[in-house]
Amino acid sequence: MISAGEESRKYEIKLLVLAGLYLAAGAYAGYLWRDGDARSVLVGASVPALGFLLVAVVWQALKFRADPFLLPVVAMLSYTGLVFLYRLNPFYALRQFFWMIIGLFFLFLTTRLFTNYRRLSEYKYIYALMGALALITPIFLGVEQGGAKSWLDFGYFHIQPSEFVKILVVLFLASFMSENKMVLTQDTEFFRGFYFPGPRAWGPLLGMWGISLLLLVFQRDLGAALIYFGTFLAMVYVATARMLYISIGVGLFMTGGALSYLLFDHVRIRVNIWLLNPYGFFELGDEAYNQAYQVIQSLFAIGAGGITGTGLGGGFPMFIPAVHTDFIFSAITEEMGLLGGIAIVLLYILFIFRGLKAAMESRDDFSKLLAAGLTALMGLQAFTIIAGVTKLLPLTGVTLPFISYGGSSLVANFIILGMLMNISHEARIHE
Amino acid sequence: MNDNIRKLGYLFLALFTVLMLYMGYLNVVVGPTLATDPHNRRLAAAEEAIIRGAIYDRRGALLAEDRVIGGAKVRVYPRGRETAHLLGFVSRQYGRTGLESAFDSYLLAMDDAGKVRAVFDRILGRQRYGYNVGLTIDAGLQRLALNMLGSRSGAVVAIDPKTGAVLAMVSSPAFDPGSIEEVVRTESVTKNGKTQEIKTTRYDILKTKTDSAPLLNRAARGLYPPGSTFKVITGAGALEAAGQKTGRTVECKGSITVDGFVLKDTGVHGKVGFNEAVAVSCNSYFGELGLELGEEGLKRAAGSFGFELLDYEGKTGGMGKYPVVSAEIPYNPGTLPADRMSPPEAASTAIGQGRTLVSPMQMALVAAGIANGGVVMKPLVMEKVVDRSGGIHKKMSPVALYTAVSPETARDLSAAMEDGVRRGTASQAAISGIRVAGKTGSAQNPHGQTHAWFIGFAPADNPGIAVAVVVENAGGGGYVATPVAREIIREYLSK
Repeated sequence: MISAGEESRKYEIKLLVLAGLYLAAGAYAGYLWRDGDARSVLVGASVPALGFLLVAVVWQALKFRADPFLLPVVAMLSYTGLVFLYRLNPFYALRQFFWMIIGLFFLFLTTRLFTNYRRLSEYKYIYALMGALALITPIFLGVEQGGAKSWLDFGYFHIQPSEFVKILVVLFLASFMSENKMVLTQDTEFFRGFYFPGPRAWGPLLGMWGISLLLLVFQRDLGAALIYFGTFLAMVYVATARMLYISIGVGLFMTGGALSYLLFDHVRIRVNIWLLNPYGFFELGDEAYNQAYQVIQSLFAIGAGGITGTGLGGGFPMFIPAVHTDFIFSAITEEMGLLGGIAIVLLYILFIFRGLKAAMESRDDFSKLLAAGLTALMGLQAFTIIAGVTKLLPLTGVTLPFISYGGSSLVANFIILGMLMNISHEARIHE
Repeated sequence: MNDNIRKLGYLFLALFTVLMLYMGYLNVVVGPTLATDPHNRRLAAAEEAIIRGAIYDRRGALLAEDRVIGGAKVRVYPRGRETAHLLGFVSRQYGRTGLESAFDSYLLAMDDAGKVRAVFDRILGRQRYGYNVGLTIDAGLQRLALNMLGSRSGAVVAIDPKTGAVLAMVSSPAFDPGSIEEVVRTESVTKNGKTQEIKTTRYDILKTKTDSAPLLNRAARGLYPPGSTFKVITGAGALEAAGQKTGRTVECKGSITVDGFVLKDTGVHGKVGFNEAVAVSCNSYFGELGLELGEEGLKRAAGSFGFELLDYEGKTGGMGKYPVVSAEIPYNPGTLPADRMSPPEAASTAIGQGRTLVSPMQMALVAAGIANGGVVMKPLVMEKVVDRSGGIHKKMSPVALYTAVSPETARDLSAAMEDGVRRGTASQAAISGIRVAGKTGSAQNPHGQTHAWFIGFAPADNPGIAVAVVVENAGGGGYVATPVAREIIREYLSK
């Protein structure tokens, strides 16, 4: 087993070189298929590959001891995204290229500035305030994209605050829970023989539920609501191991879901689409078909992939609206097949494994909660969107971490990676 | 806390494992259905990049292929009307139907091997070709059947009872699938000051003919009362219930009365036994059998041949959707009413009137099941899928669909149906030197003359072909439908 120490960075660099070869192969295939400009493809592929390597080399020089597998996994995911974006539309690949560089810079910055991340636990009410502000702003000033009103327009680019707020939410919860762990695990007798948590525990529970509903109602952002609340429950479980909280939480979420099904057309439509039988698509009338168009196109793409896929450039993923953001997984499965799709899922599993390992290795509650929360966030997001585009669950629009096109999402995810690395470093430095 | 984190990890592992299993199900099991869904724009896109595979009959006669005519790829159907409903068509405007749609995945080489090959072909800049499909269909029988039906509406289905291979499937009136997009007239219409050209294609015209419904594949999707051909099923039920050859005789007086309802017969047959009753198609005898079997017995007997129950009147909420059996050629199974039958209705159901509806394919399967010792084989039309270099990608593998009756019952029914040809209503089916078994039917219907039916098979001792023929509003089964079947049997067995 790779233990803490400088050895680990050598593994990381080796794995990054392999990931670089993967990117090179993908870039070459994309270049051949698109008959693209050789120089821009060369630059587009080598700069990110060298960027990742540079980060690892500098870390080595700084004797950074964090987990050596997280960065290569993220590199594989990011490279896949870059190659597929180039294949779908070079314009998106170009923008993603810049965002990836910015993301790497933020990753490095996070690992330098927040090495002493425990200090972060002191400012939890500031996070709550910032988070609330960032969420509320788009309701009044935001622009709508893909049915969700959760974007701020900055001229050249849009920022989606909810992507960053998710980090603040996890930070807040980790601080709050590590501080109030005793309260959370103690019962107040409520009614003869039945123990219920006291109001100090109920507070944040209801608060989170409120935030999720707020997202749902005002921003129509089903995906974010689901992920926030799921992450919250995961962290509550890690902190208390009490199924009572989880049951109440799931109950609240179900109630919210059922209410929004009854109240909101867009939720009802999503659920009805989810209930369609794929064997019966051919019988659908025009209206039903047009309503379910995106999901049906996604399933057509996935079905076209078979086991081996059509090969890069061989399929027709462009038939799916918004294929470059939420539906990029369908494009990958169409052209890389079931095997490619499973490989992506395995990469996320690996990410979760390493993230939770960092949580288990660290020694204080705040670090454990923070690492577990950030990992759960990432895992839930990947699961939600993959399950959505494959119609295992109703579709909720969120990005596929590190792969989907989108600057806010990419940068936020690199910051999360940086924080996980810090926690892992902190845990290993004392070994 | 670490224990909790570990459990959280297991939860994620479980979630993602379910996701991966589901992805496998989606890609491998549902994938082929999605790939050939007519909504799927990939079909049209794939079509551009590939020479669609050709379709041949069992002897290698060409039925459909892509040809380049004047620089454009054109789908050509050399047999035109003879294979119209069977093959269907592929049209950007009018969709995809028939075997052309059902076999899209072969004709466009959409399997995994084809996908891998597509990658190499694209790199090497080679023309891509779909796989060719060899059918079990006999083009000669198709032509004969359509000619025999002539200007009459109707359908013919012929099946190899031992394998379920469909030998012929014809529906009349037919159309030429190669010319549906042809514009027959162009009109200029001025509306709100704008002049628009309205083009009428052959398809538009075919679609307006709702009475003769030339686009309908009657053989698979036509719904008719079965008439006396249903007596075979009533007989099967009675023989199965008796466990042995029924020795019952009935004194036929020309009609029977059930609860005041008079069931008329075609004549006074006197004292008849089972074989005699099948041969002369005695309504009194089968009416009695039906009453004895009762509603339950009739439904069970029909169910064993694949019939389903349908809520015709919408008594249990909404008009029931007509069921379809999914096969290479989807067809309607026979249906009986799901609600209760009165004794008079049971008696008329037993002789093929009542509310029973059947497709010619269903009745061909009934004949084929009896011919094959009681086992109904699944109807198949794809004999093999071959690539351009002759490599075989898929071969037909016969599969039993239902065990309808015991071998003894099948043998007894076969003997009675042979009597029907030798000395009964189906005597027109007799061919010298070949033992033919058959049953006629003349199904009353609200649209005029009876529909003429024949179902049968030959040779009775070693069946090679089972046939169902229906001719709409054309009179009695014995003189109208039976000769069509005879010529088909003769033609097929002479080869």
